Amino acid sequence: MNQVLVVDYDYCSGCHTCEIACQQEHGFAPDQYGIKLTQVGPDQITERKWQYDFVPVPTDRCDRCAKRQDSGKVPSCVQHCQAGCIYVGTLDEVSDKLGKGKVVLFT
Amino acid sequence: MDEERVGHEQLDARAQGEKPAPVAKRETQDDPSGRAWTWQEDGYTVVRSNARSGPGCHDNCGVLMYVKDGVLEKIEGDPENPYNQGRLCPRCLAFKEMLYHEDRLKYPMKRAKEDRGKNAFTRITWDEAYDIIEREMKAVIEKYGNEAIWVTQGTGRDINGYGPLMAQYLGTPNYGTGFLSGQACYAPRIFSTALKAGGLFICDYSQFFPDRYDDPRWEAPEYVLIWGNNPVVANSDGTLGHWIVESMKRGSKLIVMDPMLTWVAGKADVFLQVRPGTDAALALALCNQIIADGLQDQEFIDYWCYGYDEFAEHVKGNTPAWAAEICGVDEDLIVEAARKIGNAKSCCLQWGVAMDHTSEGFITGMACFDLMALTGNFEKPGTMVAANPVWDMSVTWMPRDKVWRECSEPVKDQGRTMNFDYPALKAMAAISPDMLLTAMETGEPYPIKAMFMMQNNAIACMGAAPQRILPALQKMEFNVVVDLFLTPTALACADVLLPAACFAERIGITGHQPYALGSIAQAVEPLGECKSDQRIIYETGSRFTTDEYKQWDDEQGFYDYLLRNTGYSYEELRERTWAYPEFEYRKNEKGMLRPDGTVGFATSTGRYNFYCPEMLHFGLSPLATYEEPPESPVSRPDLAEKYPLVLTTGARPWGFFHSEHRQSPSMRRLHPNPEIRIHPETASKYGIAEGDWVHIENNFGSCKQKAHLTTRIRKDTVSADHAWWFPERGPEDGTLFGVMESNINRLVPMRPGKVGLGASYKSQLCSISKIEE
Repeated sequence: MNQVLVVDYDYCSGCHTCEIACQQEHGFAPDQYGIKLTQVGPDQITERKWQYDFVPVPTDRCDRCAKRQDSGKVPSCVQHCQAGCIYVGTLDEVSDKLGKGKVVLFT
Repeated sequence: MDEERVGHEQLDARAQGEKPAPVAKRETQDDPSGRAWTWQEDGYTVVRSNARSGPGCHDNCGVLMYVKDGVLEKIEGDPENPYNQGRLCPRCLAFKEMLYHEDRLKYPMKRAKEDRGKNAFTRITWDEAYDIIEREMKAVIEKYGNEAIWVTQGTGRDINGYGPLMAQYLGTPNYGTGFLSGQACYAPRIFSTALKAGGLFICDYSQFFPDRYDDPRWEAPEYVLIWGNNPVVANSDGTLGHWIVESMKRGSKLIVMDPMLTWVAGKADVFLQVRPGTDAALALALCNQIIADGLQDQEFIDYWCYGYDEFAEHVKGNTPAWAAEICGVDEDLIVEAARKIGNAKSCCLQWGVAMDHTSEGFITGMACFDLMALTGNFEKPGTMVAANPVWDMSVTWMPRDKVWRECSEPVKDQGRTMNFDYPALKAMAAISPDMLLTAMETGEPYPIKAMFMMQNNAIACMGAAPQRILPALQKMEFNVVVDLFLTPTALACADVLLPAACFAERIGITGHQPYALGSIAQAVEPLGECKSDQRIIYETGSRFTTDEYKQWDDEQGFYDYLLRNTGYSYEELRERTWAYPEFEYRKNEKGMLRPDGTVGFATSTGRYNFYCPEMLHFGLSPLATYEEPPESPVSRPDLAEKYPLVLTTGARPWGFFHSEHRQSPSMRRLHPNPEIRIHPETASKYGIAEGDWVHIENNFGSCKQKAHLTTRIRKDTVSADHAWWFPERGPEDGTLFGVMESNINRLVPMRPGKVGLGASYKSQLCSISKIEE
């Protein structure tokens, strides 16, 4: 079954670690991405509330680090994510991550 | 104390030629059985280590280095290391771009004095380099005395503990950060809070436990009070910022004080967007409101504090309304933040260098600690806990006198340390970089004639007023620079330039963390003839001392010597890579904070000092008191007419550690240009659009940076990058890699606070205008 990537972007700090981990793993140039950070905001929604979020999006270059997974490791972005907010697995395996707000799922 | 006594006996035994008695291995929480430091995997030799600079930073993340045919092919986070649990930041992931960069210095070099500033270096042998250093330094000593040499370091790095040995070899009392005005990094905060609490205390994110967040003793702080710090980016002083994110997942809430909406500010229950330099007023007002509401922890105050009544009286006038006016934030928000802190089960303070970056900023440290004491947030889970060096290994942090005592003749005439103007600096045995720069320029109170600069790109980075520093360095009689790259500072002034090794190329021990002691393992041979900073120090030093002080034969012996009272040799430490000592909460109740073993805090009163009698000795108020920054719209309305915006500098970017990583393509992609952040409404007032080059100017100087328009910053404030230079230009064009062009420190004076500590790097005034191309 195909693996999905889940990002709990409530906790994504926008640190770019996923991008760099991916580039280093795959030997991509600095302008080639297997996963790319996007930004939402800064948007002042009310006097007190801001949205200033980041969401990493896997690209067509993403192979879920097939080679790493063959040797029993998780994808490099998942391991190195400083916020620990990227998960990989089958839909079943990640289903417990989905029951809260600000979670995206990439099939 | 027992340990110390054992240590001395051992040294005495060694001096008498006796075999020292073996020291028992210290107890650890972690079980190293089954842990290996190196193994074979898929054709790679894997080396487990701790990434202790250089390049960067202030942390010690666990790494796995994958080596094939002697070449480091990749580096990953070590999933088993409790410190970072397999995670790693972009800079370390792209470490190869620095390690194998074509511009790395590989050989010792010399240059004629008249060629300073020109790329006219000649390769020499290490022996010749040491010959020149010996000859030139001895000539300076002969002519002007040992104190005419200033031995400097850059920030933190792996030089903190070892640099003082270089100064000791050269017989000079003048050792410290090179051109950091007011010692404005940690020292001011440590000075003020050590007098109040008796030592360093830090926020508890479970980092003292090898099983981390799962340890049943730990509880997440209910509130983390993030004070002028962007921890997920800055990773200050042995704290990995993302530990806060893990704490948030386990229930921690945030209160954030910052002039700019950071990511953590966006997640905060209360975001206090203050005018830069006014935050001491905010801290005092939080205390005021907590007392007004009766939310103080009376039991903690009664048992463990001194001078509370005076303090309560003192802050009576510091109302939220008073602070709201000064700080430019809503009174209601201050009241709400105070009630949240006052009602929380636990709260801890996440501070950063910003506190030191206003002239009297260390007062903010005092006031914030008062807030923690007022609410009893010391030595309990999720609060402020003592942070003493593991097993008294102060060399991993800030070495105490005894560390290097047996390694050369003691420095004569300590009274000559360049700090006479400042009793506080004298008390800390610290130099005044501000006085030293003046001495370089004027010869008063005595001349400074030679520099030994280690990992210190002062012109680009920490030096305020680089327009003064550059000519001062260029008129020295002799300069030695040790670094990874040819920096603007090295290009400007080095007569002898020595190539330092990166962490993968050498052995060592970790630093800057009180939670664990770890090893740095060598993965690859050094490039060219690079050597570790430590080896450069003791090999140079051998020219200035005698064999009677020789304590080690090689680099491993050097670390064995330093580790001698821990029961571990370097090799034993490397076998396990990390060692977590026993840890207990409530050390104040158990007599574990004071050297005499009695309960309480390690202060003169044995208590937390709301009223700090020592401050009087330094000519300061014994109670934290707000002062307006020297240059602000309030203190200098005359200046503000011409320079109407508040200038704050040095916000940390993801990809760079200060002036480092500008050569790393992946990191430079994240930050291609020096950037000044301006609110769109402010920018539009000055006709500035996104991406425009902007001339930034004030009464001290000017520079140019590129505009980034963002609503994250206050409308009355601009935030400018620090530490820019352009290595891609090469060393030939006469601009020292363009180091002066975007150098925001040209707008910052080399001028400390009243007691010699703190400097206004983050609270100046300025004007901005578009540069027409």
